[in-house]
Amino acid sequence: MTPLLKVQNVGKTYGKGANTFTALSNISFEVKKGEFVGVMGPSGAGKSTLLNVLATIDTPTTGEIIIGDTNLARMKDAELADFRRDNLGFIFQDYNLLDSLTVRENIVLPLAIAKMPTKAISARVDRIASLFGINDLLDKYPYQISGGQKQRTASSRALVTEPKLIFADEPTGALDSKSATDLLESLSDLNQSQASTIMMVTHDAFAASFCQRILFIQDGQLSKEIQRGTLTRKQFFQEILQVLSSIGGGVNDVI
Amino acid sequence: MTLFSLARKNIQRNLSNYFLYIASMVFSIVIYFTFVTLKYNDDLSALKQSSQQIKGLMSASSVVLLFFIVIFMAYSNSFFMKKRKKEVALYSLLGVRKQKIGLMLFFENLVIGLVSLILGIVLGFFMSQGLLMILVRLMGYEIVGSLTFSVEALVNTTGIFTLLFLFTSLQGYRVIYQFKLIDLFHAEKQGEHIPRASLVAAVLGTALIAFGYYTAASDMFTSEIWRFFTVLGTPLMVIGVTIAGTYLLFHSVSVFVLTALKRATSWSWKGLNLIGVSQLLYRIRANAKSLSIIAILSATTITAGGGVFGMYYNAEATVRQMLPNTFMWKGETVEFSQQDVLYNEALSVKNLRVDNEFSFFEYTLLKESDYNRLAKLQGKDEELHIADGSTVLLDAAYDERFSHDFTGENFKLQNGDSFHVEKMYTESVLNFIAAGTVLVVNDQEFSTTDAEVMKMQVVGLDNDLKQQDVSKDIYKQLPSEQQETFSSVPQSYEDSLATVGALLFVGSFLGLVFLAATGSIIYFKILTEAEEDQAKYAILNKIGVNSKQILKTVAGQVAVIFSAPLIVGIVHSAFALLAFSQLFGMNITKPVILWMVAYSAIYFVYYIFTVRSFYKIVRQGN
Repeated sequence: MTPLLKVQNVGKTYGKGANTFTALSNISFEVKKGEFVGVMGPSGAGKSTLLNVLATIDTPTTGEIIIGDTNLARMKDAELADFRRDNLGFIFQDYNLLDSLTVRENIVLPLAIAKMPTKAISARVDRIASLFGINDLLDKYPYQISGGQKQRTASSRALVTEPKLIFADEPTGALDSKSATDLLESLSDLNQSQASTIMMVTHDAFAASFCQRILFIQDGQLSKEIQRGTLTRKQFFQEILQVLSSIGGGVNDVI
Repeated sequence: MTLFSLARKNIQRNLSNYFLYIASMVFSIVIYFTFVTLKYNDDLSALKQSSQQIKGLMSASSVVLLFFIVIFMAYSNSFFMKKRKKEVALYSLLGVRKQKIGLMLFFENLVIGLVSLILGIVLGFFMSQGLLMILVRLMGYEIVGSLTFSVEALVNTTGIFTLLFLFTSLQGYRVIYQFKLIDLFHAEKQGEHIPRASLVAAVLGTALIAFGYYTAASDMFTSEIWRFFTVLGTPLMVIGVTIAGTYLLFHSVSVFVLTALKRATSWSWKGLNLIGVSQLLYRIRANAKSLSIIAILSATTITAGGGVFGMYYNAEATVRQMLPNTFMWKGETVEFSQQDVLYNEALSVKNLRVDNEFSFFEYTLLKESDYNRLAKLQGKDEELHIADGSTVLLDAAYDERFSHDFTGENFKLQNGDSFHVEKMYTESVLNFIAAGTVLVVNDQEFSTTDAEVMKMQVVGLDNDLKQQDVSKDIYKQLPSEQQETFSSVPQSYEDSLATVGALLFVGSFLGLVFLAATGSIIYFKILTEAEEDQAKYAILNKIGVNSKQILKTVAGQVAVIFSAPLIVGIVHSAFALLAFSQLFGMNITKPVILWMVAYSAIYFVYYIFTVRSFYKIVRQGN
């Protein structure tokens, strides 16, 4: 099976001349369709830079990123925006909902931008909303709902276009543990039932334990990779903690 | 580091932020200084009788102007302060006392004020020179005024603006003392509520405007409404009703329309329509007051400008309507330059006293053959053949609302004779001044009518508007009792231009100022919102909206905010001008449309600038 996402020797350098800072160097990995991959590492390791580069919000200095059969490195700004619209979904730590739109309209937005017919939009929105359990909230505004509900809305918006690849940047960062668990379970279900491909950046070992595979980043380089395999979630959680303590940093975040 | 140097460095480093503020200050000063300079100008006062009128006009206008400048400056100052709240908060967080921050802002204001005052006065001096030339042209004078620097204007401007700067500084102080540090950490507003439309307010708003329009459009001499509120009260009532209606229109009707648009998912769920309509809905109620003010200001500007421009445009036609001959006087002929002469006729007419059931007047009795000859000379190809006992009435001052239509009635003379009025024309062949209403009868009737015989001289010149010298020459030669009967096209034209030209100048000047200020108010307002919305557009970019689409939705939103008050203003003024043209009995459609197009064109330039700046701000967020 050909990989959905192929990352080859990606590097990212900030600044010019003598004052350069290397955020990422020589990163290569692949993600297959239907995988739920986590990216972990201490603060400043380059997790978010990697996600931004993969998500086409930022451009890499070196290397290639191939999603499906599209090479992102050679695309222009406008093309990238269209590519994002058609292929990618995002879930952000701070939700990024538009507060002048209702929950329904927030979810409708990416489909409207893709110029889908109104009837088809309605059907899709209803389906995704019941998947995340927010049917009753559809006509409320973001300021009327809780953080967990906002993140479900944001996730619905990311998934409603049935993107090839979903990027989540610390999606549970601002949630209490109950809401975080609910969200992660929904994502995990979705990954299994719909074979969605999800890539999630987190420094929370609990959130990471929902993934099938975890990439560890340290000082801008890929340092370790672990597979969940047949382990239960609790066992996987313990393994993650061990890896974190061995590479240093990050452990503090768990406490 | 002293506070003063901190303030100075602040300005130096943030020059681009300050630019807009300083520019609007300089703009206000330039306008005011120019106006005051013209007011105190000696050349202008030297220009004969009309200068007194202009002086009065200028004084009244400068009060209006000042009032407007105060509003404008308060507005731009509050916009500027809003932008700097974060900076103030930072100082406060670092432990600088409010008193000190206030003092620093005060210094800043002082520096800005001084710079703009000097810039404004220098620019204003040059501008007043240019404008004086335009004014003199518009009034139809050939003199080119030389401008001396007016010390009075300098003192006046400096005094007024020092007061204004003091006032804005106090406004700044107030902001600092009201500001609470906690606000900084609650920068993110807890979602402004999306407004819900009130049906009652929407219906009431529409009804009020409809009523105002209906009243303005109805005939003021027959309408019950006009009778009820009286001729003075009705316009005031109409203005009040329209202003209230306009506010409700922006406050409720707009919400109604936008909500309906948003609900029509087959339209709104297409591309970025959803974003555009939601953003407008989200903002419109907070903006209702500004939008109404802009609509009313636009309406005022267009109405005043259109009306005055209409009068200016019609000045020549009005003169020609009343004076079909270049010169006319009663009595003997005189010697004058024969250049450009088209015709020079001596007519013998009879002076009549006519009584009828309405009034008695002096009329001029004219021979049919004389009429036909003059009509031909004046380029009218109508020949009259009047039956015995009948007459054709020529009344240039005829107004269907005031004058009696004599057609078909008998016109009784004092000596008992009477004529049957066959037709009535509003175009005469004799000048209204001296001749008044003219009765044309056939030559037979003319000779048998018993009345005082008079001699009348009529002269037609080519290029008649420029024949001022000939006009004066003839006037001088006439005996004093005949001077009263002398009428002259160039003289009347010059007199009416002097008044209407000055009116046009002041009207356009104030109109331009209002336009610039309304444009700037919208500009400031939209850009403030753009800064608040930066994050929203960054989100849109992340979920895959390309920059072209963002530009499109931005242009669309700004277009609605710009065009809504403009359209309302234009429609308001159309109805106001309808009443105006009715009152003065003038057809001003063409000049009014010209005026509206010019107004909209300048307004459009503001639109382009605003969209560009908006887009730039939004792109910075990505």
